[in-house]
Amino acid sequence: MTPAFEKLQKQLKQLPGLGYRSSERIALHLLVEKPGQLPVLVEALQQAALAVKRCPRCGNLAEGGLCAICADERRDAGVVCVVEHVPDLVAVERSAAFRGVYHVLHGKLSPINGVGPDDLNLKSLLARLATGEVRELILALSNDVEGEATCHYLTQHLPADRAVKITRIGFGLPSGGGVLYADSVTLKSALEGRRDYS
Amino acid sequence: MRLRKLNLRHFRNVDLATLDFSGRRQFLTGANGQGKTNLLEAAGFLTALRSFRATDNRLLIGQGQAVAAIACELEHERLGDTRVTIKLRPDGKELWCDQERVTRLADYLGKFPTVVFSSQDLQLVRGSPAGRRRWLDLTLAAMDASYLRALQTYTKALAGRNSLLKRGGASDQELSAFEQVLAPAAADLIVQRTKGVRELAATLKAAYAQLCDEGEPGALAYEPDFAEPSAEVLLARLEGGRARDVQFRATVAGPHRDDLGFSVRGRAAKDFGSEGQQRSLVLALRLAQAAWFQVRSGVRPVLLADDVLGELDPARRRRFWAAIDAESQVIATGTKPPDAELGAWQLFAVADGTFLENPPDMEAKA
Repeated sequence: MTPAFEKLQKQLKQLPGLGYRSSERIALHLLVEKPGQLPVLVEALQQAALAVKRCPRCGNLAEGGLCAICADERRDAGVVCVVEHVPDLVAVERSAAFRGVYHVLHGKLSPINGVGPDDLNLKSLLARLATGEVRELILALSNDVEGEATCHYLTQHLPADRAVKITRIGFGLPSGGGVLYADSVTLKSALEGRRDYS
Repeated sequence: MRLRKLNLRHFRNVDLATLDFSGRRQFLTGANGQGKTNLLEAAGFLTALRSFRATDNRLLIGQGQAVAAIACELEHERLGDTRVTIKLRPDGKELWCDQERVTRLADYLGKFPTVVFSSQDLQLVRGSPAGRRRWLDLTLAAMDASYLRALQTYTKALAGRNSLLKRGGASDQELSAFEQVLAPAAADLIVQRTKGVRELAATLKAAYAQLCDEGEPGALAYEPDFAEPSAEVLLARLEGGRARDVQFRATVAGPHRDDLGFSVRGRAAKDFGSEGQQRSLVLALRLAQAAWFQVRSGVRPVLLADDVLGELDPARRRRFWAAIDAESQVIATGTKPPDAELGAWQLFAVADGTFLENPPDMEAKA
């Protein structure tokens, strides 16, 4: 193989989910099998790199100014759902159960991997809270050690005189799932998170 | 439960082997380094999908092989006749139970108890606290998924806090974020360890009395780093120790510093116990573990005795076998066949990873 090919292949291998074989296949596909796709892809990459930015308010993907969700006036800007990554936002959005707005942290506290508070999209969240417009903060971070630690960190940074309600999404049985098939740890958290029913 | 058939493929030095077990007493003989312990290791793997002597499962895969497999048929008190298949690859393991793929360890743990008696067990009394904690964690986690969960949460949160301390310059809020996850998990561990060791200690006392009749009580005690199982108190303690921990660059106190204490006649067995007393204590500990597994799971564990018979004097050996009831399956290894007084054994000769039932030159002795 040529040096330029190897350079391309190495770059492709850096992408998530691609190993040596698949990156080689993609490189061959673009250069040899379907060379017509290449200029289209290059242009799309360039355009996206220039146009796609983070929404200055919530950190979601946006093109020039606010993202589509923050710009939508029908959404309730008083309820903010905090998520780790953009795909998490997409997942909550797909549930169609949420009419508020989001805040994307772009990660969670992970000292082992060298991720500290400064690496997260936290400052803009505190700025949003300072405006007094937010009534409720829904913490939809993952239910693991680092997700929980990030939640604790967040709550410590809220202004003391806050009138903001803080909630954590529930963890328990999957919809349509029977009690019989749930593992004991999930059942425990489902019992702890039970609510009034009447 | 009783293992009826054991199949191994590319497991350690065993290329391919099928062993049919009849009855409840099996004995494997052979020279050193032939694969006797490897077979016990494979049988012990059933319980918690961990080896009793290697921490890295990759070591279990035969040299130059991509996958190792353990398949067994067993008679089970609760599940009836069951087949379990485990495939080990360098990047993970695959588990099948009666043709159904098992994807959650929590669904599996506690169903197939085995207890290994090994000559290395003596280190449980003599060695470092880390070995005793590992034993306690493996024992409790094998029967209780919620213990495993608490242990994993604790370990991960501790690693987070330690990595903040090691790097230095972390804010109080950052440390506190991890302490708030750490404290409830620590409380959970202390509660479950206290309860577990109390139950194990009662059985150990009885088993020790069976092994030694010299009127010297043997005992096991939980020696927690800090005994207060309250998340609030533990949280306050972590906050209070922060300045010291920053200086040491590590979390100095917590359940990761817990220990177990063995004693004979109220004196620490580690320092004052004789060789024989220490050996009897670890045998009693393993008997206690087996009894506890049976109470917790309702399943009689399979006992795997790795070359422990040879080390006991005849009187103690008799008492040891008297302490094991006839209903328990025992798979034992040794360099020479067992004494005739121990009853009828199904014999296998082990040589270079192959197993031969009823070797002709041994039938006479058996």
